Amino acid sequence: MKRIFDTGNAAITEGAIRAGCNLFAGYPITPATEIAENMSRRLPQVGGYYLQAEDENAALHICNGGSIGGLKAMTATSGPGFILFADAFGWAVSSEVPVVIVNSQRVGPVSGITGAPGQGEFYLSRYLTHGGNYETIVLAPASVQEAYRLTVRAFALAERFRTPVIVLADQMVTDGWETLELPETDDEFAALGLEVVPRRINPGPEFYPASDEIDVPPVVLGHNTGAACSDWTPTDRGHDTEDITWQHKHAWRLIHKIVNNRQLIDEADEWFLDDDPEIILVGYGTPSRVIRSAVGEARKSGLKVGGIRLISLWPFQSHLFTRTACYLVVELNWDGQLVREVERAAADGSNVHFWGRCGELPSMAELLDTVRQLLDNEPLQRDGWRTEKW
Amino acid sequence: MVARIEILISGFGGQGVVRIGQILGQAAVNQGLYTTMLISHGTETRGGYVRSQVVISDAFIDSPVVENPAYFCAFSPIAYGMFKHLCNRQTVILHNPNLVTADPASDACHRAIAGETLAERELGNAQYANVIYLGVLSAHCGLLVPEHIVTAIRQRLPERSHENNIRAFELGREYTL
Repeated sequence: MKRIFDTGNAAITEGAIRAGCNLFAGYPITPATEIAENMSRRLPQVGGYYLQAEDENAALHICNGGSIGGLKAMTATSGPGFILFADAFGWAVSSEVPVVIVNSQRVGPVSGITGAPGQGEFYLSRYLTHGGNYETIVLAPASVQEAYRLTVRAFALAERFRTPVIVLADQMVTDGWETLELPETDDEFAALGLEVVPRRINPGPEFYPASDEIDVPPVVLGHNTGAACSDWTPTDRGHDTEDITWQHKHAWRLIHKIVNNRQLIDEADEWFLDDDPEIILVGYGTPSRVIRSAVGEARKSGLKVGGIRLISLWPFQSHLFTRTACYLVVELNWDGQLVREVERAAADGSNVHFWGRCGELPSMAELLDTVRQLLDNEPLQRDGWRTEKW
Repeated sequence: MVARIEILISGFGGQGVVRIGQILGQAAVNQGLYTTMLISHGTETRGGYVRSQVVISDAFIDSPVVENPAYFCAFSPIAYGMFKHLCNRQTVILHNPNLVTADPASDACHRAIAGETLAERELGNAQYANVIYLGVLSAHCGLLVPEHIVTAIRQRLPERSHENNIRAFELGREYTL
């Protein structure tokens, strides 16, 4: 392993290159600009293409086009650019285009605050386009090292599932500097549990089967597939149709290829859940690291506290919340997003609480105070902002 | 054995706040330690608010948040005002007396170093002040081997400035607190 000190942006770049990315199109935005900068330097070294687009919607459309042309493509942005993907993301979902999208979440809405972290796109990443009838794969790194791993994984999942995969990072991960171990040999790479799925080519003439099958090679134009890639509903030969039966088959495939193979996507850490903890802290991304420290500290002082860290966010891992328990969901937003999903998934009789703040990570001390308040049945109140119910 | 050491650096953009963190982090990695550095900043590249939170440990670091700083490099009154509440009697606050006035109510150990003046006088450029503070911190803290820091300076800073930055680092190490 090569041990270096670098940013999440650098880790994402190296992960993408290792995964075989050979097209990056994007539009610079803090705190993801360095991904574009790094890719503009790295891609020519590996025979790939870098393109600065006129805006984010164009950037993702270029990635889609490149992918349909046989390239492995990625784009990267932050919230204000992520929202502009809405149109192109729909194309990628519906035409089943493998593509990787990185969003480094900052404080929003709109331009918000550039150099501070947020977690405001939990739901947006699930529904980044209109129309419904689809599932989304979203992975959330909590460290520079994990940003590398999940970028490689995102490329593999995108190829296998023929779909866009979102790496939902935050400003602390992408701008943050950390010890990063990069595999130098194939064995070291495999030891990290990683694989590279090369681009295969759908031989045609069928488009995609009306089934939940994955590992069906994606359509690459010009390879005798006979299949068109368009924004219309496809028949089994890829021809446009407005027939509702075909639409149903298409939607069924988009949904079930993901939910029926979700065991390949689901990933989470669980800490100290074996002895029926009185409180379970829940989070993803960088706040989950403070959660882990707080859980460890609480255990040292004899408190029965556990933790759950979501690594894959969507499809949502409802099965992690089947215990009747007191959950404290910690997020980098004021409105509470993940907490709503935990509330929905939590077993009957559970209590679900919310600790939220934007732009600044919680401190371990703050989380421990909140844990003690909950254990003492005190109402949660802090500066008029934190609310029991969002 | 280094359980966990937390260092906070904050000031205006352009003062080298991130650079100090990068050099510390790189030196820690050179020394086989784990490190994290969170950066928070405003939109501006120069003149805006910047903060580096550096944590160094011999094991993987869970929380990267500085909440009990061993050192706080306070380079602006705003930064000092924002983060002095995190400091306790175990904290050493390195500050520029021309910019930051120590709060008499704080029980942290304040050390006033006119880094900019010293850099201007000795190296002809106030820009090297941040590396002087790094030298002071390094001499006081003792955790990181100076050779690893010098290597980190060479790795992280442009070659044309190596000589002056290494001199600035030595000036800081020789500075008597």
